[in-house]
Amino acid sequence: MTLWDLKQGTSATVASFVATLESSYRVRLMELGFHPGETIACVLAPSLGAPKLYRVNNTVYSLDDSVASLIMMG
Amino acid sequence: MSKTILIGSPNSGKSLLFNRLTGLNQKVANFPGVTVNISTGQSITDPTSELMDFPGVYSLNGISAEEEVSIKAFFNALSNPDIGCIVCVVDATRLEKGLIFALQVLAACVNHNKPLIIAANMMDVLDQHGMQMNLAGLEAVLKVPVVGISAKSGLGLDALQAVISQHRDTPAPFSSDIIASDESVIHRQAQQLAANFGPKGDLLINAQTRLDQFFLHSWYGGIAFLAIMYLLFQSIFTWAAPVMDGVEAVIAGTADIILPLLPAGMVSDFVADALFGGIGAFLVFVPQIFVLTLVVGLLEDSGYLARAAVICHKPLRIFGLTGKSFVPMLSSVACAIPGIYAARTVDSPRKRWLTYLAIPLMPCSARLPVYSLLIAAFIPATKAFGGLVGWQGLAMFGIYVFGIVCGLLVTTVVSRTSQALRSDLPFVLEMPPYRLPSWRPLLRNAWNRSKHFVTKAGKVIFTVTVVIWLLGYFPNNGAALGESWLGQMGQFIEPVFAPFGLDWKYGVAILSSFLAREVFVGTLGTLFGIEGGEENIISLAEHIQNSGLPIGAGFALLVFFSIALQCVSTLAVLRRESGSWRLPAQLFVSYSIFAYLAAWTTFTLVEAIVN
Repeated sequence: MTLWDLKQGTSATVASFVATLESSYRVRLMELGFHPGETIACVLAPSLGAPKLYRVNNTVYSLDDSVASLIMMG
Repeated sequence: MSKTILIGSPNSGKSLLFNRLTGLNQKVANFPGVTVNISTGQSITDPTSELMDFPGVYSLNGISAEEEVSIKAFFNALSNPDIGCIVCVVDATRLEKGLIFALQVLAACVNHNKPLIIAANMMDVLDQHGMQMNLAGLEAVLKVPVVGISAKSGLGLDALQAVISQHRDTPAPFSSDIIASDESVIHRQAQQLAANFGPKGDLLINAQTRLDQFFLHSWYGGIAFLAIMYLLFQSIFTWAAPVMDGVEAVIAGTADIILPLLPAGMVSDFVADALFGGIGAFLVFVPQIFVLTLVVGLLEDSGYLARAAVICHKPLRIFGLTGKSFVPMLSSVACAIPGIYAARTVDSPRKRWLTYLAIPLMPCSARLPVYSLLIAAFIPATKAFGGLVGWQGLAMFGIYVFGIVCGLLVTTVVSRTSQALRSDLPFVLEMPPYRLPSWRPLLRNAWNRSKHFVTKAGKVIFTVTVVIWLLGYFPNNGAALGESWLGQMGQFIEPVFAPFGLDWKYGVAILSSFLAREVFVGTLGTLFGIEGGEENIISLAEHIQNSGLPIGAGFALLVFFSIALQCVSTLAVLRRESGSWRLPAQLFVSYSIFAYLAAWTTFTLVEAIVN
């Protein structure tokens, strides 16, 4: 399951990143808190495929499918 | 003078703190080639201290060219003996994220033997919600001063200034067990420190989520979005319009006082047309720039701009753009210049570049007089569809949509054919908390942006105005525009526009409209012998009809004006914002060719249908 598959109101733990994700983006995502082992909650999944809102600790980020589908959840 | 660097991630409140500490004594420096600014200013309370506001970055590992420029500048500053102290601003309500960055900065400061102070901002928000943060505990572990502040309310700023004065030039002993370079270790440490010393509870994040559920809701969110964007658009047209009229009136009033004092002749003509006309041509944009910068700043600081970007992202991605491109493009429907400035909010250099490509094609208000004239001349004032709508109104709507479609077409094609050009950033957007913005820094920012336009872009605009005036005035001292050098140039380039049925008069009008598109109407008025062409559009339209201009030529001109980049102010601002003449030159040439080919195609098609 990827982060993009996470339903609104549910949480999961980051497992790994898809190999095609550029290494600089991977480091940046980890710096923002999308770190393997970290629990991420999908707080809002707007309709029509808009970017979803994810909570990492006390910060909320919006990610579109091109990034969220490259983060594998455990 | 000892200098202090302010550094922090976006949305940490760093720039607000800088504004608080320095007041109005600011200077903004640009890095060549990129949109990276470093502001410097003297401290209000300590005249011996100068502060430097570095661009907000999420990390000291850059992933775009602009981030790398900012980070390199930071490391260069660390090696500079004039830098006495670093202040890292973190958002106390989102401590873990701020600490990941602060720990990277701490390691850099230790390596360069510079003292670091951590300013924990937003303490007023914690107070309001009855939440606390253990500043002393964090200070004891990190072994650097940690000062609780509120850049918005001013809480703790005197204490921060005192700590800066006390600690600058004297690096404190550091805690070696906290210095790490490995990202995983830093992440774990930040998590531990935030858990031990940060505020507890989900109160703030839950309140933010409730508002997000409203503003990003399919129905309410959509209605709120349309209402807010309508207000933004109206602000440029309605709120700026009286001030723009005021600016024009002041310039005209000053001209009325000064011109009678000058002897009639070349000097008087120059002062009237080039000096007052030239200054008026660009000063009139200032109210729009001021109002739009203020409104975009209001949206940004309130937290709504990030939500608007989420709403627009999916549809704009189809055209190679991002959700953040929407506000600059919408602004450009009023005027490209504030739109180009608003594109600074697009953080991805590639997406910002694509937004710049679309902006000059948005149907700006300067095109309106040209469209009105050509539509009055060529489209019958009759009703269509059983009297529901007029053909002229439909034509106006059609040409507006045409411009927007052209802009999106260009970004779609360019984004798919130049994938390696300019560094991109993934769509990972921090959702800042909803906040009531502070007016003072917003007004100051709008003032600085307007000043920047007048002092930087104004030089180029004024130079071009003078050149066009000289070409139109000599060699016959302004007796007849048709016989001037500009007129001769129009006649020389007549063969260029002849394929779509235009004679030399239109060549001259198109050449002079490079100054600003609406000049086209005034120039044609002069050439047809009508005083005040802008006010007498109907009379001028009749002259155009009677001149026997083919209908295909009228449509060709409409298409030409909707694409061609004839606006020296847009080119000058693009040069300032992109850092070189390359982009404006490329756009000017390619949109001129595009406009010419589209106009020729339109002429051929319309004439084939009509005949």
